[in-house]
Amino acid sequence: MPNILISDPTLRDGNHAVRHQLNKSQIAGYAKAADAAGIPIVEVGHGNGLGASSLQVGEGLLDDRTILKVARENLTHSKLGLHVMPGFATINKDIKAAIEIGVDVFRVASHCTEADITQRHIGYIREKGREVYGVLMMSHMASKEILAEEAMKMESYGAEGIVIMDSAGAYLPGDVTERIAHLVSALTIPIGFHAHNNLGMAIANSIAAARAGTSILDGTARGFGAGAGNTQLEVLVAVLEKMGFSTGIDLYKILDAAEVAEKELMKTIPSIKSISVVSGLAGVFSGFAKHVERIAGEYGVDPRDVFFELGRRKVVAGQEDLIIEVAMELAASGKRRS
Amino acid sequence: MKEARVDRVLEDCRQVLGDAVDALGGLRGESVLITGGTGFIGSWLAELVTFLNDHHDFRTRLMLLSSRAHLLIDKAPHLATRKDITLIARDVRSAIEIPSEVGWIIHAAGNPDNRLHASDPAGTIDVIVSGTTSILEASSRLPNLKKFLNISSGLVNGPQPFDLDSIQESWYGGIDCSSVSSAYAEAKRIGETLCAAYRSQYRLPIVNARPFAFIGPYQSLDRPWAINNFIRDGLLGGPIRILGDGETVRSYMYPSDMALWLLRILLHGKVGLTYNVGSPQGVTLRQLAEKIASYFPTNPRIILGLALDRGVRRSKFVPDVNLPQKELGLDLKVNLEEAIRRTILWNKEQSKKRGVYQTIVNDASTNEE
Amino acid sequence: MNANKLKVAIIGSGNIGTDLLIKTLRSTFLECALFIGRNLGSPGMTKAGSLGVRTSDLGIEAILRDPGCWDLVFDATSARDHRYHWSLLENLKKIVIDMTPARVGEMCIPAINLDTCRQSKNVNMVTCGGQASIPLAHLIGKVHEEVEYIEVVSSIASRSAGPATRISIDEYVETTEEGIKLFSGCARSKAILILNPAQPCINMQTTVFAKVKDPDVDKLRSLIGETVKRIQIYVPGYQLLVPPTLENNRIVIMVKVEGLGDYLPRYAGNLDIINCAAIAIAEQYAKEHLTQLHAETRLK
Repeated sequence: MPNILISDPTLRDGNHAVRHQLNKSQIAGYAKAADAAGIPIVEVGHGNGLGASSLQVGEGLLDDRTILKVARENLTHSKLGLHVMPGFATINKDIKAAIEIGVDVFRVASHCTEADITQRHIGYIREKGREVYGVLMMSHMASKEILAEEAMKMESYGAEGIVIMDSAGAYLPGDVTERIAHLVSALTIPIGFHAHNNLGMAIANSIAAARAGTSILDGTARGFGAGAGNTQLEVLVAVLEKMGFSTGIDLYKILDAAEVAEKELMKTIPSIKSISVVSGLAGVFSGFAKHVERIAGEYGVDPRDVFFELGRRKVVAGQEDLIIEVAMELAASGKRRS
Repeated sequence: MKEARVDRVLEDCRQVLGDAVDALGGLRGESVLITGGTGFIGSWLAELVTFLNDHHDFRTRLMLLSSRAHLLIDKAPHLATRKDITLIARDVRSAIEIPSEVGWIIHAAGNPDNRLHASDPAGTIDVIVSGTTSILEASSRLPNLKKFLNISSGLVNGPQPFDLDSIQESWYGGIDCSSVSSAYAEAKRIGETLCAAYRSQYRLPIVNARPFAFIGPYQSLDRPWAINNFIRDGLLGGPIRILGDGETVRSYMYPSDMALWLLRILLHGKVGLTYNVGSPQGVTLRQLAEKIASYFPTNPRIILGLALDRGVRRSKFVPDVNLPQKELGLDLKVNLEEAIRRTILWNKEQSKKRGVYQTIVNDASTNEE
Repeated sequence: MNANKLKVAIIGSGNIGTDLLIKTLRSTFLECALFIGRNLGSPGMTKAGSLGVRTSDLGIEAILRDPGCWDLVFDATSARDHRYHWSLLENLKKIVIDMTPARVGEMCIPAINLDTCRQSKNVNMVTCGGQASIPLAHLIGKVHEEVEYIEVVSSIASRSAGPATRISIDEYVETTEEGIKLFSGCARSKAILILNPAQPCINMQTTVFAKVKDPDVDKLRSLIGETVKRIQIYVPGYQLLVPPTLENNRIVIMVKVEGLGDYLPRYAGNLDIINCAAIAIAEQYAKEHLTQLHAETRLK
């Protein structure tokens, strides 16, 4: 039975859904439940990763060190993972401390065409003997050939696997099959896939990825995550097992963990709102949703128009400041909300 | 602590030279230019030649050309301050006038760090192609050039088929020339063709060497090659992680053997021929990891990679060295186990000197080196 | 050599050095005595040659050998190389303008401290994001008594960021953060850099966020025009996009920098702004140097 390694960013991607306000007891509670369920990697932190707490993407309730320490204390079998973007975090200010706290798995991420900014960070983490994966975000914005080239750069820097993210929830299953198959054949290291549910495709896309040869899949409890949310983890595990993949996760215990998540972490269970459909179609980073809603409201413009304009401008993750500019322009050009 | 490193390398030189000193007699009193002279190959050649000067009165003069020549002070201070070594701080691509007394050239400029090839493929190609053209041009105006040794790469002929135990100099496969990850291999390949052109058109005495893989002092452990990773993992207390199923096959030569082979190829290699330089003793990564683990008292465990059930891609990179062995009477004095042992010891001494782990990443390599 | 111009040398024949060369040639106060790189075949060296500028591929050796031919040098190499160069140049007591994140000398933001930093022999131009944002951070610091936190986000076109920029993003972030704190007096700072590959290439865009006690947006708005004008004197392509605004309890100011297109196309505003700033301080030195010279001539 082929194995799929599950990585669970409920406590990281999920932080987007609550404007990065997850607190210590929430983190401890879910981490314990995930650990008990045998989830291989539990990823925690600010929604945009290490060092990302900022006015640009939102300030976290807790600082990185606190989040990591709480999670570290509550994980014994599961590995502690984190997401980190060069440009937001630096080796000296952020990565060194994370290593000291005992993070096991680092996922170093860049926009899908900018892998070379991860060279030093991947190298540093490898040098310190930790596991490191490369992550290509907003991967729908590049062709499969470019993705393979960028992934190969990360491989040359020492990444042990490459995770492709559908950060905008823009893919259809056929897109995923084509890309993952190409990457699996082009690289010697394992490929992973991280889906978002803006177009209701998260599970289907993840399954397509599994069939195409991916060995790592991300999912969150109840799909808790940015925008319309991520792949619903407990569903994913059930489906994978039904299909004959082996995840090593205990079914009842992960269902329990999902209950914990539902009760403790979220006010509402993720669903696909209109704005998420639009951001998925526009190909804009799911994490923009709350900012767009707020700012569109302030300027009296339609958030859907804002998203389509951001998509037209091909904004990448981390460019939330442009939302204000776009909203202002739309307001000035008279495109008010009808 | 400086002495410890010098001792290790001195011992290596003494051992490898053994009774081969006379065979190198052609270098006595000569001037030798090495481009990329402060890199891994250049540093070892310098160690071997200065040993011959110190212990066998060779009086060979070395010129080490490198765009970062001043870094030799940090890397090998005992070399940087010697009177028989002249540092030429120049970029090999730039128009060079080679001093007319130079009789021997080893062209080793070009950075084999594949992270650099990924981040700066354009620069990688330029250094090798423009650099090789530039040095060949300058060589063609030398009055007394006796031999020019081009350091190419075992990668020039593309990936080795897994069912081939080792690749001979005459074998060639294929590289996908439209792929950016072919930058280094393609550049080294055209480097060889350039040498053939200059040899034929300008009658230059050029011989070609294809180095494979090496492990030993002066090679930084942050290079993302399997053996470096394993040793580093071991030094950090393990576990030793193999990406893949461990059946990929590699071979490693110790640099004292490498330096001797290169000097002998320089002196006695036949003009127009290519010689592989490396160890013919293939070993799987799993075997390699086990050997390395056994050198650490903690005996770290070995972890294989993910996705083993997906049909992992295995590769091989092992040279056939019958040609240098038969024709030049070369052999390997240091076997793999010994190479590993000496490398681990050297790195332990290094980290004692620099304090745990020197982050060489902060001095990330660029194509300006 | 024109006695009415300050003689400058430029080390580093990459994009920054070559762009500086073109700006130097256009300046009425500066002239390029020597353009130095390591590779005579590089595009920058070829360009310099075609413009009739004296070139050398000897690196730092070239200016050490001929100290009489230059009074000021722009170092457009790398942080590591600059530290090495400074160790050799320090004793010459000439002026060195450091274009790298090495930060050995005093940080210079022409719109703020042009007058004071010209006393230094080593002047550091911080970073591109720093040049774009620090004048705004400084303004925020002047208007408010307590500035808790300032954050700067810069987005630049992928094509305007070469291997040298990409390998030193951490230095960029840390140097910019130092600069923000120094010139604004804020307690905490953060710098973020985003590369965007969109075609057609985007211009450099920088947003300054601030958390302050009792934000006074009206006062900021009344003063911002003057700040922007002061920058536009030496960076003509600097433009205010979003005036000081209070959004979600944070002050927001957004600016855009379009380059002059001297060497790289206009979208490389990030390169342009740091070079324009460097030329501004070099011209300031030139003006004083010439005033001094004329004074000396009059005394004879």
